[in-house]
Amino acid sequence: MAFKYNNFTEKEGEQPMRFSSLPFLFGFLPITLTVYFAVPTRWRNLVLLLTSLIFYGWGEPVYIGIMGLSILIDYTHGMLVEKYRSRDKLARWFVAESMILNLSLLGFFKYWDFFAANLSLIPGISISALGLPLPIGISFFTFQTMSYTIDVYRQDAPAQRSIVSFGAYVTMFPQLVAGPIVRYKDVAAELIQRTNTASAFAAGARRFTVGLAKKVLLANSIGALWDAELAAQSAGTLTVFGGWLGIAAYGFQIYFDFSGYSDMAIGMGQMLGFHFPENFDYPYTAASVTEFWRRWHISLTTWFREYLYIPLGGSRKGTWRTVRNIFIVWFCTGFWHGASWNFILWGLHFFVWLMLEKYLLREFLQKLPMWLRHGYTLLVVFAGWGVFAMEDLTVCGQYFRTCFGGGTLWSAADGYYLTAYGLTLAILAVGSTHWVKNGWNRLPERARDVLGPVLMLAGLVVCTAYLVDGSYNPFLYFRF
Amino acid sequence: MAKNGRLTTAVFCLFLAGLLIWHAALPDRARSETENRTLAQFPQFSWENLKDGSFTAGMEDYFADQFPLRDDWTGLKARCEQLLGKRSFHDVYLCGNTLISRVEEPDDAQVKKNLSYVNEFAGMADGQVLLGLIPSAAEVWKDRLPAGAPSFDQPAFLEKAAEETGLPAVDLLGALAAHAGEPIYYRTDHHWTSLGAFYGANALLNALGKEPLKEDDFTPQIASTDFNGTLYSTSGVHWLTPDTIEYWVPEDGLRVTTWKSGKAEPGQLYDRSYLEHKDKYSSFLGGNQPLCVIQNPEITDGSKLLLIRDSYSDSLAPFLARRFSEVHLIDLRYYHASPAEYMAEQGIDTVVVLYSVANFISDRNLVYLGR
Repeated sequence: MAFKYNNFTEKEGEQPMRFSSLPFLFGFLPITLTVYFAVPTRWRNLVLLLTSLIFYGWGEPVYIGIMGLSILIDYTHGMLVEKYRSRDKLARWFVAESMILNLSLLGFFKYWDFFAANLSLIPGISISALGLPLPIGISFFTFQTMSYTIDVYRQDAPAQRSIVSFGAYVTMFPQLVAGPIVRYKDVAAELIQRTNTASAFAAGARRFTVGLAKKVLLANSIGALWDAELAAQSAGTLTVFGGWLGIAAYGFQIYFDFSGYSDMAIGMGQMLGFHFPENFDYPYTAASVTEFWRRWHISLTTWFREYLYIPLGGSRKGTWRTVRNIFIVWFCTGFWHGASWNFILWGLHFFVWLMLEKYLLREFLQKLPMWLRHGYTLLVVFAGWGVFAMEDLTVCGQYFRTCFGGGTLWSAADGYYLTAYGLTLAILAVGSTHWVKNGWNRLPERARDVLGPVLMLAGLVVCTAYLVDGSYNPFLYFRF
Repeated sequence: MAKNGRLTTAVFCLFLAGLLIWHAALPDRARSETENRTLAQFPQFSWENLKDGSFTAGMEDYFADQFPLRDDWTGLKARCEQLLGKRSFHDVYLCGNTLISRVEEPDDAQVKKNLSYVNEFAGMADGQVLLGLIPSAAEVWKDRLPAGAPSFDQPAFLEKAAEETGLPAVDLLGALAAHAGEPIYYRTDHHWTSLGAFYGANALLNALGKEPLKEDDFTPQIASTDFNGTLYSTSGVHWLTPDTIEYWVPEDGLRVTTWKSGKAEPGQLYDRSYLEHKDKYSSFLGGNQPLCVIQNPEITDGSKLLLIRDSYSDSLAPFLARRFSEVHLIDLRYYHASPAEYMAEQGIDTVVVLYSVANFISDRNLVYLGR
């Protein structure tokens, strides 16, 4: 299914390759790993680049060109910045130029229709939408390439001379599609030299399997509950309880889906010898909205802090400037997630709560008992997911109206959904806390040495079953 | 720790590589009996196909369809989901030892159109026209569904249909509901059993003013005890006891003519060759065909009946042949000429539009009624 964080627009017959798919797991991945480890070390970046281009072009080969263009732009600008480092003004111009070009690419392919539709509301202006399919991962790779040029300028890393290695950095298939957003300086050293050990590979394999299970077994399952409640809303049968149950389902789906993808990315990176930064740190255990955002989509908030907030002045220029800077960051954060007003609203929803916490509520919150702080945080966060989940603001409004008392309280269907999904929800809730990891670490090492591979194999088997059934498509000859 | 690393690495690599090799080595299947469809084959390669994405989409389908042990993996998934408390599998509810298909809310526009086609037909046809809508297990056995499970309101639809067409309705809901405690639907298939068809036949005969059939007059023959039907396939639930198919009406004396191949040929009341395959229900009259006629020479009053129908009538028609000298069956999926004209040509003065509710609300072929 197409999912917001991946920003796919799938046209008929054009399907990008997903990690959680049979051709990837039993085709692309084993073949790529085999070739990668079979060739001498100095060719591995090339293998990575070529296989990643194949991965990227799968289903949408035309957009390899856009990827290629982005690589060329920042490769040359990185070299130019380094060459003219002594002439600061010129170097800064090249950084700015790289940003303008990257943002134009992003803006054109992702946001053209949004601007066209909204500007056309002004009388006298009429711009037509282009309906361009979104190049996969463009929100991620443009941010990555921008971070490269800026990091080179700031001398956080030397410019990459080899276009193959630079290309490998940009296109690396583990994080190309859904992050984490890897800043160049984080992998600059590993691009040149990396160590590969069995224990690193094993850790990566386990991490990958955990991510796959989170996505395929948990996220996809609970997603069906959200779909059912949304359908109930359009059929007019949604209840207050059902409305909130649906939002809870969505909140779990997006966390397990997205963090699952990040786990798979980090795991595959480990298998290849890279160390990507963590992207999630048990966000639903946060005791404040501020803390939540230190635990959710860490690579994105880090990017915005490093490359937007701090250059704007951060918190160093007085309260008014600080609030303005935070506003800009949260507007952009929301907007980055999608070319639609509900995403902007979602970003601003957090802007409001973060400001309240920063300037008004901090002491008050610290006096509250922990359970109340957790409850408050989850309420704000999940209400946010409700806005995030529905791009059509009319539908969103109607849904929330039902949630806040516009419908009946409870119906028999709610009881059915609770029995069908109750255990899954309990597993999701427990899985959102540290309990599983803590429980695992308390086991004696010998037990973990045996149980680890066993559980991993069980996880792979069950995930395969779910994926095969996903394509299970009996021809219902009695209904066509 | 290093030892642990090697074991995990080996397990991971062997699992992925093993299935890849097995997949590549396994000869491609052309068709899946369980899923009742043809399976994707290796796509044709060309630069155009690659550019527009159809080659890679074809690869994905091929990869999934030809996966080794495909049917067993789906059974495993259903088991896991059942353990988690799930009760609905691909829109089929698991109710103890029975699978009940959920009837989805239909597209209102299509329903309106279908009812209007029935009205048009009633206007054109020269004779008595009845509308028979067969409720499914989701309605008659709704007490077996999981509490609160959503499903389409069939009685409300039956009332609406009676109102909008003004045709005399056949009370199939009443007839089946009266015997809800008996095995009137299959447990792994969406059709009614021969017992259910028997009660349905009597409801129809009642509405037509004919003498009902008596259960004692029949000695059901067991045709198969190993029937796994459509719901077995759709849901992926493969662990239920298979169904038993019974043949009630004896074949001797009845003459069947089928137009399956496009021209009139002698047919069989029960095509036992289907019993060798998964789709055993098709043994009734030999399955899908545009037109079929059952003649009963023992009935000499010249009574003729036309059924415009779906697959439920395959097990129903043998019963009706006991009261009519000729029973004609038209399936609008394959028969696209005018049913009204057919009636006039054949001198048939009684016609029943007989569909299951689930098919009627979604069928796109009822437009041919109005021809």
